[in-house]
Amino acid sequence: MNYEVGQELPPLIIEAVDPEKMKIMAAILRDPNPIHFDPKRVSALGLGDRVVNQGPTNMSYLLNMVTRWSGGVPTLNSAAVRFLGNVFAGDRVECTGRVSAVDLAAGLATLEVKASVDGRPVLQGSVIVST
Amino acid sequence: MSAPEFRHVIGHRFPGGTVAVPAWMNYLWGDAVAAPEDSAPYVHPVLVYYAAVQGAGITFQDIFDLMEASEDSGIMVGEQRFEFSEPVRIDTIYRVVGGITDVVRKSGRRAGVFDIATFELRLIDPSTEAQVALSTTSFIFPRGGAAQ
Repeated sequence: MNYEVGQELPPLIIEAVDPEKMKIMAAILRDPNPIHFDPKRVSALGLGDRVVNQGPTNMSYLLNMVTRWSGGVPTLNSAAVRFLGNVFAGDRVECTGRVSAVDLAAGLATLEVKASVDGRPVLQGSVIVST
Repeated sequence: MSAPEFRHVIGHRFPGGTVAVPAWMNYLWGDAVAAPEDSAPYVHPVLVYYAAVQGAGITFQDIFDLMEASEDSGIMVGEQRFEFSEPVRIDTIYRVVGGITDVVRKSGRRAGVFDIATFELRLIDPSTEAQVALSTTSFIFPRGGAAQ
């Protein structure tokens, strides 16, 4: 594949974040944080009445978008993502990305990636892939 | 009364150990994160993070305990970084080492006082001692004092 600065990745859309998947994730991660599976605890923290998606899941959406486009997991060189806001059960998540730099000599391309809910950025970062 | 700062946690080393991600866990992870396909024979890159936690001989609760925070105090992930020398493979044993690399206290009018604790975890190929992956995570620990 030819990588060009400005190239847009095909977006990846999660139409509605599934709270049942959060329970699977909590079990795999052994994450005791109840905001991921107990709506009452979410409410008690003043965050509303919908459970909160785990950060690793949100980051996974972004990397799924990247590897689907770049040719799979072995193309990943590095990733750095900041978590800007919560994603809640039922939210529609839109993942987008674009090529911001290409290093032909090193065989690497840098992608700027973002996940948004209703236009509100919830994750933002950069990923470097092997070209 | 102000909460104690946690600079003394910097340099804390995790017990360490080994980990191998089984195929079933990788499959369930992929399902939970709506991956377009099973990533086998490679571990989903973000599952590398949890595998590293497990292999380091710690749980998230251990980190919460080090930072004297309860799991229901609003702890959040601030930042996550990965570096891969090669893809991590399922059913393959890796050695894991790591520890707390930084703790910073910050405050904001809306957020109040909070601590940011950063930890690193390295996956190492035991046959070559080469680093395969580096995971760096920053957790945010709210300490109260936010503006009403």
